[in-house]
Amino acid sequence: MTPLVATPVREIDDVRGRHDLENAWRNPAGLLSWLSVATHQAIGMRYIVTAFIFLLAGGVEALLMRIQLAKADNTFLGPDKYNEIFTTHGTTMMFLFAVPMMEGMAIYLVPLLIGTRNVAFPRLNAFGYWMYLFGALFLYFGVFTNTAPDMGWFAYPPLSGPQFSPGKRVDFWAQMITFTEISALCVATEIIATIVKLRAPGMSLNRIPIYAWSMLIQSFMILFAMPAVMVSSTVMLLNDRTIGTHFVNPWAGGDPLLYQHVFWFFGHPEVYLIFIPALGFVSAIVETHSRRAMFGYPALVLSQLANAFVAFGLWVHHMFATDLPQMGESYFTASSMMIAIASGTQIFCWIATLWSGRVKMRTPVYFVLGFIFIFVLGGLTGVMLASVPLDLQVHDTFFVVAHFHYVLIGGALFPLFGAFYHWYPKMTGRVMDDFIGKINFWLLFIGFNVTFFPMHILGLHGMTRRIYTYPQEMGWEPMNALATVGAFIILLGGIVFILNVISSRRHGAEAGANPWDGGTLEWATDSPPRNYNFVNLPAATSRYPLWNDPKERVVVTGLRDDRREVLVTTLMDAEPHHRLVLPSSSIWPFLTALLSAIGLWGSVFHFSWYYVAMLGAFIGLVGWFWPRRREAEA
Amino acid sequence: MIAQRTLDVSELPVGSVSNHAPLWWGQLLLALIEASMFFILLAMYFYIRLSMDIWPPPGVQLPKLGPATLALIPLVLSAIGSYIASEAAKKNDRSGMLLGLGLNIVLALLFLAARWFAWNEWNFNWRATAYGSIMWALMYLHTIDAVADVILTLCLFILIVFGYRGVKQRLGVHVDSILWYFIVLIWLPAYVVLYWGPRFVGAP
Repeated sequence: MTPLVATPVREIDDVRGRHDLENAWRNPAGLLSWLSVATHQAIGMRYIVTAFIFLLAGGVEALLMRIQLAKADNTFLGPDKYNEIFTTHGTTMMFLFAVPMMEGMAIYLVPLLIGTRNVAFPRLNAFGYWMYLFGALFLYFGVFTNTAPDMGWFAYPPLSGPQFSPGKRVDFWAQMITFTEISALCVATEIIATIVKLRAPGMSLNRIPIYAWSMLIQSFMILFAMPAVMVSSTVMLLNDRTIGTHFVNPWAGGDPLLYQHVFWFFGHPEVYLIFIPALGFVSAIVETHSRRAMFGYPALVLSQLANAFVAFGLWVHHMFATDLPQMGESYFTASSMMIAIASGTQIFCWIATLWSGRVKMRTPVYFVLGFIFIFVLGGLTGVMLASVPLDLQVHDTFFVVAHFHYVLIGGALFPLFGAFYHWYPKMTGRVMDDFIGKINFWLLFIGFNVTFFPMHILGLHGMTRRIYTYPQEMGWEPMNALATVGAFIILLGGIVFILNVISSRRHGAEAGANPWDGGTLEWATDSPPRNYNFVNLPAATSRYPLWNDPKERVVVTGLRDDRREVLVTTLMDAEPHHRLVLPSSSIWPFLTALLSAIGLWGSVFHFSWYYVAMLGAFIGLVGWFWPRRREAEA
Repeated sequence: MIAQRTLDVSELPVGSVSNHAPLWWGQLLLALIEASMFFILLAMYFYIRLSMDIWPPPGVQLPKLGPATLALIPLVLSAIGSYIASEAAKKNDRSGMLLGLGLNIVLALLFLAARWFAWNEWNFNWRATAYGSIMWALMYLHTIDAVADVILTLCLFILIVFGYRGVKQRLGVHVDSILWYFIVLIWLPAYVVLYWGPRFVGAP
């Protein structure tokens, strides 16, 4: 079947289609409707805004820590507050900012990139957002009621166990994980189903935009990694604390190290599932702004796949300082070093694309170059840490803090800011100011290096992590003071970014459909896209359909415009298979999330609240799937 | 009016009760998530096993083979009901769906009854060493999954009885079978590990 070849040129009435589509996809005003929204642009934007607020919260926590450490023997924060703040900082950045932000960007962008109208499961998408929000509010309810977690973002027993952490701090943390993991699993499921089944006709596997590939790979990682953290935080830790199981109790056959294994079986892939979407951002920015097809597309996609695969064989390198057999450690050293091969391949592909293209040095490209610089430095310390003797020497020092901020901020935050500048015109219809954007970049870049580079040296000088202060005689003060100055430069960069977002929203240049002359499908439609994305769904005639001759482009006709209809295509070659009516707004995803949340909140006090959650979910799902006679007639 | 090359899809059917439906993928991925949970728990079982000299630990009676093995018979047979229902759903055959779903529910309830007897005769609970904790975790997770799917199947049965059998509901019947196959299949390795493992290796 080659429907794309023999297509007649036809007149299309796009005015009438637009009118019907507006009606079918409208999100009505009013609070109830606001809670019922199930369009991907709205939900994606809610994720992005919520996650950005938590980035600011995590940033404030970071500044508080930097103020405390700026001088020796400081008493700005006490030890207990300091413990709470560094734990909340890590938890917020990983679970409430990084993963949800990457998910939000994907929810917004993936349907546009692959040429469809919404994600495959719009109501599940809404449900996922509410679960994330309820989990986040739960943790911050704890933060403001002196119940913030204080045992590090990974909550190692025995410190986090019932014996050494009485009270509810650890329990709040453990159950917050459940909320965010449910949310991430919902998004992963719908992103995979969307990419495998709702692609534009003609978008065979070798034409999928690289960012969509990244999200497909990342979503599969979530499916295999996230269950592990639910097992470690709720099955092991929470049950040990609330109902007296013995998973981590060495006196009854359990083992605290088992917790570390299961946690890091999630924890290492977690880093990559923040970082792989960022690789997708970098690819999209590089190919668009150098106006050429990506160099080495197959190598790039396969390298990302290799990164994802090897990510599941690395977890023990977080545990080199524990009592493990040397043979096992050597295996994990080797696999840790393998990551450099796949990452290196990608960096060469991007450099080759930039080198041979016509690069326009706009702000997103600055962020990509900044990413390459910082990430390579972080990668180099990564290779160093992969070696067991060096790791033992610097374990739990600021050297490690420097390393993971280089890979996470460099590897994820810089591409993310690049992506903001790159897709802001698509999301708002206005271009962000390029000059202020570059100031924004330089402030972040300089601030970042001033903050985190000295930490390498501090770590080598023996400054350990998670200490709330240090004596004058250690000689750590000047470099700590420098790092604090850097943190405030980052703050300034953040303020410039927010001001740029706000002022460009009003005064930015009109973007039009395709301000960067991009080649992928999201640039084929209005900026911002309407709720239905495309008046006529596009077909993918090549990897970069918009760079083809306009006369060669193909659009889909014959979908009904008066209801939320999309085209389902086949897995490999994206041949049209059937039409599908997607569900519209509903209040039930919100209610289901709320009813489940009540039970999960209660479960930190008693196990039986899980049954409340189950009953609540059941009631919610019955409402959610209540059939309508008209649709259900055979 | 714009003139453009077009691909007309108006002839294509609306909705599909088959493995091409996005929902089929959703169900498959949900099963993968659950499978990850199970395999992590099984890996934990082996880890805890390695750190104990005597398995099961003193004071704990090794669960009897009889009731657990008997429970397998209705469990495996119930998948036939799922298969009948899912094939009938594709053909929009109401009585076939009712037969298949009904058979599945009856056999699944028989399984749950047998499971109750098998579980009830354990002489330890989750507080009895890490062995008790991991045994209860695996048993609990699988049972709660099975109960949830029986409830789901009951809901579908009620919908079909009342004549709701549009593409959506029939697709529900089809993907429900995927979930049940998963619940049957995942228990087979778990059964071998929990019941036969200690008898092969390190029996007291």
